[in-house]
Amino acid sequence: MRGSWRTLAGLGLASWLILPMVPLVIWSFAHGWRFPDLLPQTWSIKAWTYALSPASGVLNSFGLTTLIAAATTLLAALIGVPAGRALGLHQFRGKTLVTLFLLAPAVLPGMAVVFGLHGLFLRLGLTGSVPGVVLAHLIPVLPYMTLIMAAVFSRFDPDFEAQARTLGATPFQTFRCVTLPAILPGLLTGALFAFLVSWSQYLLTLAIGGGRVQTLPLLMFGFVSAGRNDVTSAIALLYILPGLLILAVTIRQVTGRNIALTEGLRP
Amino acid sequence: MTDRTRLALLLAPALLVMGGLFLTGLGFTLLRSLHYAPALGQTRLDLSAYGEILTSPGFLKSLALSLWIAGASTLIAAVLAVAAALLLRQTFAGRAMIGFLVQLNLTVPHIVGAIGLLYLVSQSGALARLAYATGRITAPQDFPALTHDPAAIGIILLYVWKEMPFITLILLANLQSIGTDHEATARSLGATRWQAFRFVLLPLMLPGLAAASALVFAFAFGAYEVPLVLGAHAPKALPVLAWQTYTDTDLATRPEAMAMAVIIALFGFGLLLAYARVLRVWGSDAR
Amino acid sequence: MTRLVLEGLTKAYPGAGQAALHDLSLAVESGSLTALLGPSGSGKTTTMKLIAGLLSPDRGEVLLDNRPITSLPPEKRQVAMVFQNPLLFPHLTVAQNVGFGLKMQGLPAHRIADEVATMLGRVRLTGLGARRPAQLSGGQQQRAALARALVLAPRVLLLDEPLSNLDPTLRDEMRGLVRDLQRETGITTLVVTHDQAEAVALADQIALLLDGRLAQHAGPDDFYRRPASQAVARFFGAVNFIPGTARAGQFQTSFGLLALPPESAEGAHLLTIRPESILLGPGPNPLTARVKAVTFLGTQSRVDLSVAGHPLRAVVAPDAARSLRAGDSIPIALPPTALWLLPAQS
Repeated sequence: MRGSWRTLAGLGLASWLILPMVPLVIWSFAHGWRFPDLLPQTWSIKAWTYALSPASGVLNSFGLTTLIAAATTLLAALIGVPAGRALGLHQFRGKTLVTLFLLAPAVLPGMAVVFGLHGLFLRLGLTGSVPGVVLAHLIPVLPYMTLIMAAVFSRFDPDFEAQARTLGATPFQTFRCVTLPAILPGLLTGALFAFLVSWSQYLLTLAIGGGRVQTLPLLMFGFVSAGRNDVTSAIALLYILPGLLILAVTIRQVTGRNIALTEGLRP
Repeated sequence: MTDRTRLALLLAPALLVMGGLFLTGLGFTLLRSLHYAPALGQTRLDLSAYGEILTSPGFLKSLALSLWIAGASTLIAAVLAVAAALLLRQTFAGRAMIGFLVQLNLTVPHIVGAIGLLYLVSQSGALARLAYATGRITAPQDFPALTHDPAAIGIILLYVWKEMPFITLILLANLQSIGTDHEATARSLGATRWQAFRFVLLPLMLPGLAAASALVFAFAFGAYEVPLVLGAHAPKALPVLAWQTYTDTDLATRPEAMAMAVIIALFGFGLLLAYARVLRVWGSDAR
Repeated sequence: MTRLVLEGLTKAYPGAGQAALHDLSLAVESGSLTALLGPSGSGKTTTMKLIAGLLSPDRGEVLLDNRPITSLPPEKRQVAMVFQNPLLFPHLTVAQNVGFGLKMQGLPAHRIADEVATMLGRVRLTGLGARRPAQLSGGQQQRAALARALVLAPRVLLLDEPLSNLDPTLRDEMRGLVRDLQRETGITTLVVTHDQAEAVALADQIALLLDGRLAQHAGPDDFYRRPASQAVARFFGAVNFIPGTARAGQFQTSFGLLALPPESAEGAHLLTIRPESILLGPGPNPLTARVKAVTFLGTQSRVDLSVAGHPLRAVVAPDAARSLRAGDSIPIALPPTALWLLPAQS
């Protein structure tokens, strides 16, 4: 008896999770879908062909969003790996404060900082530029990467490095041959999710990009406002594709504990 | 190289970048909210912008609305997440699939979810059409206004849709480290399943739940793109009002927009401290 | 064959009140297997790390063949260290692990393969080269870690508690292996351990560290028969300490005179005798003792005695103690050759 409740609840949960996605799929293949029709009068792939054509600018935007996310992730990794090491392997006075300071940008709403950031970037000539947007994205992405790397390093035994040194490895060789292989899985998983953080940014891109940096969500919203539900849906489905891919790639690595680590900061 | 130097070198880039971007951004916002703009010759700090907004009914309504949205979303998401976590903790047919869907949900950006929800529950959306097909309504207006409505129900629905899986996953991880021994002990001491949950498991889950909820509240309070898609014209959610004020052609309203941003920041800080306190105070004990 | 000398090594940990090492000076003879023995916190691992170059001393020098290496980084010292935990790199195969140091030196692949194969044979791990460390048993991992260090033909080999993670039968095996390999290669080897029985079974020489200082450096036998201080004696299980004054070959105690072995020191001292050396029955230096307790320990029996209120413990074969009961008054003897004088205030 309990088992059937469980299955029912499971079914309910599953449906609830899928539900909002259903209209998107239908709309993307619709050519005219007026109220009160349950299904489109005409099915068509026009929305898709338009979205994937150069005229819509979707593919360009997709590339741009990918570029920005990749650049942000790379920067975040370069800065976040050493910082994560400091937090994961060292105890020191003021560590809580430093951790909070590095955590804050990911917890505080972007709204808190974006106006001032815009003013600052205006002065530095960074508004309306891709580098400006990349830097802005660092604000939510870097803390994320740092805390993931802190968790990764806390599972790493520094004695391995000491062992390598006594076997004749220089510090650089030690990093390349011992440390890096050990942190790489966690680093890659963290990087993929960090990519998603940048990928889904809206406000920061809007404010700093100043309308000149049209990432996919901004472009998509344009079509929402114009009432083009079909194109919007096609773009939306394209927009969630990288997330699906990343999930597929990391699904083996992600266990209960890992999930909390990788998703711990992304409501 | 001493340990301290090494430590400083490891942390320096992150601290510099965060200081340069985050602190400066915050600082600028704060200063401008106090009418500090040396470029315009204003170097006197004054709180008039705060005075303006705190006495403006529009702002107060928006603040109340955002608090309502964040509070309701967090509460509902939290309760549902506890239920979901307890469900997914056990093995049953289809559990793997649901686990996958939960994780999938996390990769969907909020704005996509908002648009999908819009097409689902708006008065001309999929559910409305279903209601028409079953004869319950005769016109779009008859379907309850769940989007662009003053109670922000659509917005709350979206946050619940996105944050419940988030909290669920965190709780699942917590449950994994809590283990089942505590409940087993309680049962062997005569507790019913409900009692074991209420008096043993739930308290152990509470720190993780509270921490996750603080994060969710902060997000639901300050996010922009969701009320952008699903929100009503009036009252506007606070982030939307703030953005509108900032982009207003009347530059004199800038300090007010900054003041709103500072208020949002203050709430964020409060929640950050709550989050940190919950984890620090209970962090090691809860294991 | 390298002579290792530690000169005045001092190391304090920031924040700790006590220095971990005080002015430690030790000469480890070339080709010897020396045990660095001491309880936890005595500074053994700190010493190892200073020799390996993983820590820098506050004061003092480390010298190999009279050349100071104190300022050299670990990878340049040719001192190989094997940690207590085998620390085989999990992402490499056993063979790749063993060849790691050679790879760091830039040796060509075929040379590495040859050396690794030879060394695997010596530690009896032939055929396991392609496996991952996780697929090896604890004992096999330990041997692989040993091979990894030995293949580099280091000038000094440091082993940090190599046997403590192993169960007793494996421990015996490993001990034999370490002894044999050390004799074959003649590499100056320092083994850290907290177990005095292990140190005694394994090493030519023992350096006992207590509270960060060298308490005694001698052959195993000396620690039992001629301990340098009460602390050393206690560490090696001595429990019988009798205060008194030595004069002209005799020791004046509160319960009488005892004859000392020839050439004993003079003055106020603490007399010690090992429990195994006390005779229950007639003999030289006869005394009357009251039996307080008899404890059967399997292969031995422990007899707690009291001589004029002074406690003494004897350890004898079970048969010798079978008829004894608490409260009995029995004659005991303390052979002079088994007596040893310790400084009174150690």
